[in-house]
Amino acid sequence: MFWPIVAFVLCWVAPDMGWWFPFTGPTGMKAASPLGERIDDLFYMILYITTATFIGTQVALGYVLFKGAAATDEGNTEKAWYSHGSHNLEVIWTIVPACVLLFIALYQMDVWAEYRVKDSFPSETRRGAIAEVTARQFEWRIRYPGLGPDGKPLPLMPKPQPTDLYTVNDLHATVGMPVMIILQTQDVQHSFFLPELRIKQDAVPGLDIPVWFEASKSGEYTLLCAELCGWGHYKMKARMVAEPEEQYIEFLQKLTESQNYDGVPGTPAAEAPVATAATE
Amino acid sequence: MRSKFAALVLVAGASFVCGCGRTDPEFSYREGLSPRMQEYVRTSVEQKFGTPHKIRVWDKLPIQPHAAVATVADGSKDSNLVIQVSESHRDIRKGQEVAWVAGTVPPRGSAPVFLEAFDKESNTLALVSAPALAPQVGDKIVIGPGETLTHGRLLYAEHCQHCHGVAGDGKGPTAPYLNVRPRDYRKGLFKFTSTKEGLKAHRSDLAKVIEDGIPGTYMPSFKLLKTAESHAIIEYVLFLAMRGETEFQTYNLLGSDYSEESIATRVKEGETTDKIVSEFATRVKDGEIDEEVAIRTDKMIADWITAQEPEAVIVPKEKRYLSDADSIKRGRDLYLSANLNCVACHGESGLGDGAQTYSVTKNTETGKDNTEPGLYDAWGNKLKPRNLRLGMYRGGRRPIDLYARIEAGIKGTPMPAFGAKLTEQQKWDIVNYVLELPHEQRIPGAGIAPPSPATPTTPVASTTH
Repeated sequence: MFWPIVAFVLCWVAPDMGWWFPFTGPTGMKAASPLGERIDDLFYMILYITTATFIGTQVALGYVLFKGAAATDEGNTEKAWYSHGSHNLEVIWTIVPACVLLFIALYQMDVWAEYRVKDSFPSETRRGAIAEVTARQFEWRIRYPGLGPDGKPLPLMPKPQPTDLYTVNDLHATVGMPVMIILQTQDVQHSFFLPELRIKQDAVPGLDIPVWFEASKSGEYTLLCAELCGWGHYKMKARMVAEPEEQYIEFLQKLTESQNYDGVPGTPAAEAPVATAATE
Repeated sequence: MRSKFAALVLVAGASFVCGCGRTDPEFSYREGLSPRMQEYVRTSVEQKFGTPHKIRVWDKLPIQPHAAVATVADGSKDSNLVIQVSESHRDIRKGQEVAWVAGTVPPRGSAPVFLEAFDKESNTLALVSAPALAPQVGDKIVIGPGETLTHGRLLYAEHCQHCHGVAGDGKGPTAPYLNVRPRDYRKGLFKFTSTKEGLKAHRSDLAKVIEDGIPGTYMPSFKLLKTAESHAIIEYVLFLAMRGETEFQTYNLLGSDYSEESIATRVKEGETTDKIVSEFATRVKDGEIDEEVAIRTDKMIADWITAQEPEAVIVPKEKRYLSDADSIKRGRDLYLSANLNCVACHGESGLGDGAQTYSVTKNTETGKDNTEPGLYDAWGNKLKPRNLRLGMYRGGRRPIDLYARIEAGIKGTPMPAFGAKLTEQQKWDIVNYVLELPHEQRIPGAGIAPPSPATPTTPVASTTH
């Protein structure tokens, strides 16, 4: 009796405790993006269907066993009924699950399309990608377009430009609006995984893959590699910072300054982001 | 049947608990000395640095191994000490040990004193128990002795050891699979530094490598480490570098007389092994060898201290010159000039295919010709001059990073320091040229100007599917 109780209790508390989804981000257990919420809804819908099916079949099984046990009582003359080969039954349990599966397949189509099909991406992503994210063993290298003379980010070009800005393991994006990145890999397959936003996309050598996401709350999110890419796979952790547009522009300005730092005191951006590590 | 199964489970469980052949980590030592001398190196290095599980903090070393260092300002209030913190590297918190290093040092074997609480406002340490001797004003104390190093060792084991090895010898289990070899710290040499020619690395150089990684190599970025964590790793790496260099120096000192090879030659020339060993024993007994070792380690320590001074860091005398077509052209002329001879290694088009890459070169240590043509670094690895057209800058892409490479060279590699040969303007011209090289095909020599909106290149978004 011990194990069934443990199994039951675990199944019962798991969703409440957030064991199925990461909940360290700024939005807690809730998905941190509108699309993520819809993906969660799909997940829960499928969970409800499978739960109902599971409980239904278990109850039916119990009922049959109970009835069957009664039939073995002494003096019972009832004959067994062999259902094997019953055409009607076969049709029923083929058509019912098929309908359920077909329903799921149709129901999820627009979420899938919005997630993966470029033509269905939100219109904001047509403005172009905000960054090129290149995975490599074992880090994320990010290339942002620089700021133009008007103080706005330039369009991201396919080839590196002299004005481009670079970071590593530090992806910044504007909050509250869909943004797109171009995903690449320098070596093997990796997977761009923003668990709190429910975004996961493999990076495939030789392909430039557009990925869009929308963080619904400012803050720091986890960016992981979700494809076992080698011995250092566990190190491939970065952060994704979602922030309001002014802060995002400020971040790019700071990056421009520190990337152009010429080492002469008094020049702006004397703040090399790393020099502090040893002194604090 | 059942007992067989139980036995199987037991065996599997036992091996799971015990692991397969687990051994304690050990610092490696160079080999090649005769056993007696090898033993001397081992004991003398171990005396100063200990073993991975029992690190010794040699107080001469210019590292920051403790959580904090302080002096006693008022010790009259029993177990409440008013202190003046002189160095603070980690939080001061309950449970840390407080140890006296100068002043009224309690006798060996007295009970350790632990911290109950620390009040930041009044700089007061509340101790669990009063120290054995009443503290005096001016006593030097350390709080959390060796805490940074122990933490550093754990983090090093988690993040660095599998490539860089237990002793920082660059021989971790994954190292054989990497084709840019992990750094062997034991020469005390680090390649990408912000310090002047011939000087060792500054702490911030190591911090930069840990934070940003080295593109083009297997060194990844560890940006998400907390400040205290990366500081602990840096101190531990410095500790390993100093330990390794001490061992290296001792080894070199004894190598000429007592390597297995030279002993064999000496025996051939008529000396007996016994006599050589007893001669060595006398030299050790007289303290002659210890003294020689001390001279070398003192120099090493002084070098590390020098490199941490603010004056050690390269600061250009003039601001960066505007990267216009003229500057880039001047840079290119300098690059091609016979005086600097950049092309010998980096090639005329900057592809890293200069004549030196297929010439027979001399080994910098032995002075003999290398067996295979090409360039080598101080660790004996074959080296490719950087392909400057990839836009990949191992030591950083800021103008100051490139300036430092030109000014002071790349330590431990054939890249020389050009600082003395060039004017400030010339240095910046070269920096501008090198930064322009990856984009040269765009508009050759047009310089770094932000592309105007009219630039007829299509944004990525509309070119991808």
